[in-house]
Amino acid sequence: MVWLYVVIGVAAVLLLWIVYAFNRLVRLRNEAQQGWANIDVQLRRRADLIPNLVEVVKGYAAHERTVFEEVTEARAALQQAASPGQAGEANKRAREAIGRLLAVAEAYPQLRATENFQRLQEELTDTEDKVAAARRYYNTTVYFYNSRLQSFPDLIVARLGGFREREFFELEEAQAAEPPQVQFSATP
Amino acid sequence: MTLQQQIRANRRRSALLVLSFGLVFVLIGLVVQALYGGVFLPVIAIVAFVYAAIAWFANGSMIASWSGARPLEPGEYPELRHVVETAAIGAGLTEPPEVRIVDDPAPNAFAAGRDSKHAYVAVTTGLLQMMDRRELEGVVAHEIGHIRNRDVRLMSLAAVLVGVVALLADILLRVAFYGGGRRKGGNPIVIVLGIAGLIVAPIAATGIQMALSRRREYLADEASATITGDPEGLAHALWKLKVDPQEMRHANRATAHLYIETPLNNLSGLRGALSGLFATHPELDDRIHSLERLGGFRLAEDTGAVTATV
Repeated sequence: MVWLYVVIGVAAVLLLWIVYAFNRLVRLRNEAQQGWANIDVQLRRRADLIPNLVEVVKGYAAHERTVFEEVTEARAALQQAASPGQAGEANKRAREAIGRLLAVAEAYPQLRATENFQRLQEELTDTEDKVAAARRYYNTTVYFYNSRLQSFPDLIVARLGGFREREFFELEEAQAAEPPQVQFSATP
Repeated sequence: MTLQQQIRANRRRSALLVLSFGLVFVLIGLVVQALYGGVFLPVIAIVAFVYAAIAWFANGSMIASWSGARPLEPGEYPELRHVVETAAIGAGLTEPPEVRIVDDPAPNAFAAGRDSKHAYVAVTTGLLQMMDRRELEGVVAHEIGHIRNRDVRLMSLAAVLVGVVALLADILLRVAFYGGGRRKGGNPIVIVLGIAGLIVAPIAATGIQMALSRRREYLADEASATITGDPEGLAHALWKLKVDPQEMRHANRATAHLYIETPLNNLSGLRGALSGLFATHPELDDRIHSLERLGGFRLAEDTGAVTATV
C-alpha cells in the first residue's frame, strides 16, 4: 500500500510542477507579446508619418524623386513586415530613407522653418525614442522567454504546450554578447 | 528576488498594512472603552474602517491634494509627457500613467496610486528646470520603476495610513503640551500612557515607512537603469539632487518616503539629530555608487561629471 501512496504523491507533485511551469511560460510569452505590441504601435505610427513628411518636403523639392520613392518603398516594407526579424530590416531601411529625406530638407531653410515640418520632425524623434525603449523591453522579455524555453525540464512542457521561440528585434551586437541586466539583487 | 516575487511581496505587505492599521485602532478603541466606557469601540472601529476603505481606493488623489500635485494642462510640458510615455513603454506598462506637476522650485519627484493603471508620476517644476533630458529620463524611469514593481500602492498606503498616524500624533502631542493643561482630573496613568503612545506612534510610523521605502529606492534605481539603458543619466540627476539645498514646501512627514529624494532637508532639533536613524531614504551617495557599479563609470565628487569609464 505504501507504494501506492508514494506513486500518487510523486504524480501529484509532478502535476503541480507542470501546471506551474506552464503558467510561467504563458506569463513570459504574454510579456513578450505585449512588448511586441508596443513596438508594433510605434512602427505603425512611424509609417503613418511618412506620407505627411513626403508631402511637406515635396512642396519644396519636388525633383528629388528617388528619395521619395525610396522612403515610400521603405514604408510599404514596414507595413508588410510579418515577423520581428522582417520588421527590424524594414525599420532599418525606413530609418535610413527618412534620414536621407531629412538631409534633402536641410537644403531648404524655408521648409525647415515651417511649423508643419518642425512638428513632423519632433514626432519622428519621439517615435524613434519610443521604438528604442520598446525594443529594449521586448528583447529583454524575449531573452527570458527563450532561455526558459531552452532550459531542461521546462523545455518538455514547452514542447508539449506548443510554445515557440520568439525572434529578437534589431538585436545589437553588444546586446547579443551580453544578456540584458535585470537583477533584483539585495543591494544594501 | 524576481520581479514577480517583488510584486507578490508588495501585495502581501499592502494587505498586512491595512490589517495592522485596523488592529491598532481596535486596540485604541478597546483601551478607551475600558477606561471611559460608552460606545468608543464601535465608533472608532467604524471610523477606522471607513478611512481604510477610502484610503485603499483613493490614496492617489489624497496624496495629490496633500502634496499639491496638479494634472498637466493640455499642451503643458510636452517633452515631459513624451519622456513619461517612453519610460512606460520601456517598462512594459500597458498604458502610460498620468503626469502631474507640483509647483515647487525644489527639485523632486514621486509616484503614487492604487495600482499600475491608476498611478501617476508627479514632478516638481524645479526638477524640470534643473534637469537636462537624460537626467529627467532617469528620474522619470525611477518613478515608472516604482509603478512597474507595484511599489506604488504599498508606499501610498503607508503614506495615508501610517503617515497619518504620525501626523495626528504630532498634532495631539502639541495640543497635550500647550492646550490641554487646563482640564481638571483625569487618570494620571492614562495621561502618561497617552503621552507615551503619542511619542512612540510617530517613531513607529516613521520606522515602518523607512523599512518600506529604503530598499525600494535601490530597486527603483535599478529599474530605471534597465528601462532607459542609461544609469549615468540617473546618477547625474541624483548628484544634482544631492547638491541642491532646497526644501520642498508641500512635503510633510506622511508623504516624505514617496519622493525620489527626501524632501525634508533641514529638520531642526531632535528630529534633525536623529534624521540619520529615521531617514526614509538611503544616502544619495550610496545610491550613486550602486549606479556606478551597475554602469561601470564614476562621477566626480565635486562636479558630477563622468570621470572614468571602467
